[in-house]
Amino acid sequence: MSASNIFAGERLRGTAASVLPLALILLAWEAVCRAGLVAPTLLPAPSVVLLRWIALLPDPDFLHHVAQTMIRLLSGFAIALAAGVSIGLLASRGGGGLLEPVIRVLAPIPKIALYPAFVLIFGFDHASKIALVVADAVFPILLATFHGARSVEPKLLWSAWAAGASRRATIFTVVLPSALPSILTGCKIALLISCVTVFLAEMISSTDGLGHLLIRSARSFRIVDMFVPLVTISTIGLLLNAALVAVRNRLLVGHGNHR
Amino acid sequence: MSEPMIAIQGLTKRFSTADGRKHLAIDDVNVEVAEGEFVSILGPSGCGKSTLLYMVGGFVAPSAGAITVQGRPVTGPGPDRGPVFQEFALFPWKTVLENVMYGLRQQGVSKAEAEARARALLDMVHLKDFADFYPKELSGGMRQRVAIARTLAYQPQILLMDEPFGALDAHTRTVLQNELLGIWERDRKTVLFVTHGVDEAVFLSDRVVVMTRAPGRIKKVVEIDLPRPRVRAELLVNRRYQEYIVELEQLIEDVHLEAAGA
Amino acid sequence: MKSALRKLGPAASTVLSLGALLVLWEILARLAQIDGFPPATEALVQVPLILGERESLASIGASLWRMFLGGALALCFAVPVGLAMGRNKRIAQALNPVLTAAYPIPKAALMPIIMLWFGVGDLSKVLVIFLGVSLPLIYHSFHGAHAVDEKLLWSAMAMGMKPVARLFKVVLPSALPDVLLGCRVGLAMALIVMISSEMIARQSGAGDLLFNALDMALYGDVYAMIVILAAIGFVLDWVFERVRRRLVHWAESRQDAMVPGGGV
Repeated sequence: MSASNIFAGERLRGTAASVLPLALILLAWEAVCRAGLVAPTLLPAPSVVLLRWIALLPDPDFLHHVAQTMIRLLSGFAIALAAGVSIGLLASRGGGGLLEPVIRVLAPIPKIALYPAFVLIFGFDHASKIALVVADAVFPILLATFHGARSVEPKLLWSAWAAGASRRATIFTVVLPSALPSILTGCKIALLISCVTVFLAEMISSTDGLGHLLIRSARSFRIVDMFVPLVTISTIGLLLNAALVAVRNRLLVGHGNHR
Repeated sequence: MSEPMIAIQGLTKRFSTADGRKHLAIDDVNVEVAEGEFVSILGPSGCGKSTLLYMVGGFVAPSAGAITVQGRPVTGPGPDRGPVFQEFALFPWKTVLENVMYGLRQQGVSKAEAEARARALLDMVHLKDFADFYPKELSGGMRQRVAIARTLAYQPQILLMDEPFGALDAHTRTVLQNELLGIWERDRKTVLFVTHGVDEAVFLSDRVVVMTRAPGRIKKVVEIDLPRPRVRAELLVNRRYQEYIVELEQLIEDVHLEAAGA
Repeated sequence: MKSALRKLGPAASTVLSLGALLVLWEILARLAQIDGFPPATEALVQVPLILGERESLASIGASLWRMFLGGALALCFAVPVGLAMGRNKRIAQALNPVLTAAYPIPKAALMPIIMLWFGVGDLSKVLVIFLGVSLPLIYHSFHGAHAVDEKLLWSAMAMGMKPVARLFKVVLPSALPDVLLGCRVGLAMALIVMISSEMIARQSGAGDLLFNALDMALYGDVYAMIVILAAIGFVLDWVFERVRRRLVHWAESRQDAMVPGGGV
């Protein structure tokens, strides 16, 4: 399965065949721009965007914005991961009856609406954006952990208890590994949500970061510079997703085939 | 007779169904199993025989009655009673060797010693060369061998076997029955063996407990007085063996008829 | 406490936990004493005031209407595409890389670009919602159609059912649990894209109201708007979940039905 293949389950034969449609779209886009069918102030050619992107990559100012975004993205995701897995595990071993209705209330709330509140409470700097990333990313991880831990084959637990493992020991030696495929699926969703959330937060109110770059470029109608942050955050998303898939393949060697 | 290894008295189990009604799964079962005895519980599916075994294992709590193991009441699972499940219940994220080592490690045995003992057991179940495989890479018969080795590793006094060969093909099943008998005849653990196979029960057991269905009660206990060590080819032409098979088949048939009539 | 909650049933326990969260908010806010974090009571009294105001009510209504339009368009477009992908390898191969590339792009972030193209009117806002909803819908429809039991299709073929009839009489019903799961994710997505694109564009709508209140330091109004948007999210999800359960009561319950997900 190709690492960046979000629509998993279908093994695609040959990378050439799988990249071809995308290449065709880009080529058509390029051709339309070169032929002068659209104003370059409205839609820049992909080659122009790419060249601009490559030119910016070594630029320290640009890298500073990338770094700000990454700090928020990764710390938010890390906090969501730690909180989601521990709360999910705890809730699955008891207390689930208390937690479930709370999640039922909180999960469907559009977290982005909380952003103004986070700004008011945590200020305009890193903290409010990290808080938003946590609020958005924690639910997929928490729910995936909870369901994964709940659906542990009871006979695995029985086997461990009969072998003399304590209840606490089985949380780490049986429940957590059993729930791992589910947790990683939750992480995959959460990681993508984190990328999107941090970018939107930076667009809405920020003085730095990739999202801010897009807004800054939009204010002066620099269309090429508007595409660059979008391409960057999407690339970051795909790379992080590929990294997660690699980690997953490492961790799940023994597990059967999981999506 | 000395104190029984397992004593089950007035054991009863009720389940609540989804619509809130009570379902009587096991009703007033009394059994005693002596140390070193191989006892099968034979009955049609849905007679609660697995539930009975789970209660002895301490995985499921009885609604009424008492189970004692070596005179001590069962309050939960413990390493004196090792389960072997039809579904194997191997840890899929651990290799064969790690699975067998698990119980020993949980009991604080050093890694080196646990590994040595696990390897010896794998040798015994003919899986020496598969130590580093993952369960998913093994056939059903091999997986069940691993599960048996994993349970034997922490040396339980009692083996609780829940239709352990039920998911295997006919040939593998006979091979594993022979191997189990070989292992048992060497160290004579107490075995409680749940099955719905008449020939399997007769071939392996000292006694067969036949159960009725809905609710599960003991219909009859049949002593299997056949010489050991048992060899399948010899038994097949043994008159007494044949008579046991016929008797038990008849009993199972009666159970089905009673259930249909009820 | 735990068993008591369970006995109460889901509806009562939801109401109870909602109450508990509001009480928690009230206590935290009174303890924290921050201007930007007013107690629940101060925010809640603003809710009827905002909803009673013609202008803000119309603004929220317009937002919901755009959301409905974008969602409906996405439904008509994405479900057939997803089903076709799930049943036809060539279509899947052709669209897969395109969708994979599009997946991590924050859809609401396209707002400034789309506004350059189509202006600041409704068209841009509906379009961005359409984009946001389409991807999860295609994804889940694809999975649903892909997982259709081959033997069901063989039986239909043996009965002489034609390909188009098979798509609507076998594939769609079989995939319905997944499609509806996609709709639920899509619904959440529509709301998120709606709010964030309005926050970015700052032209009109619920997201704009929210930030206007923030700019004017009307903290009670900010939190009241958050409560309103949260309530919209909760109610839409609750209603849809009832509908979904009714439509696919025959399917085995799915655990991931609670997982919200997908990109924005």
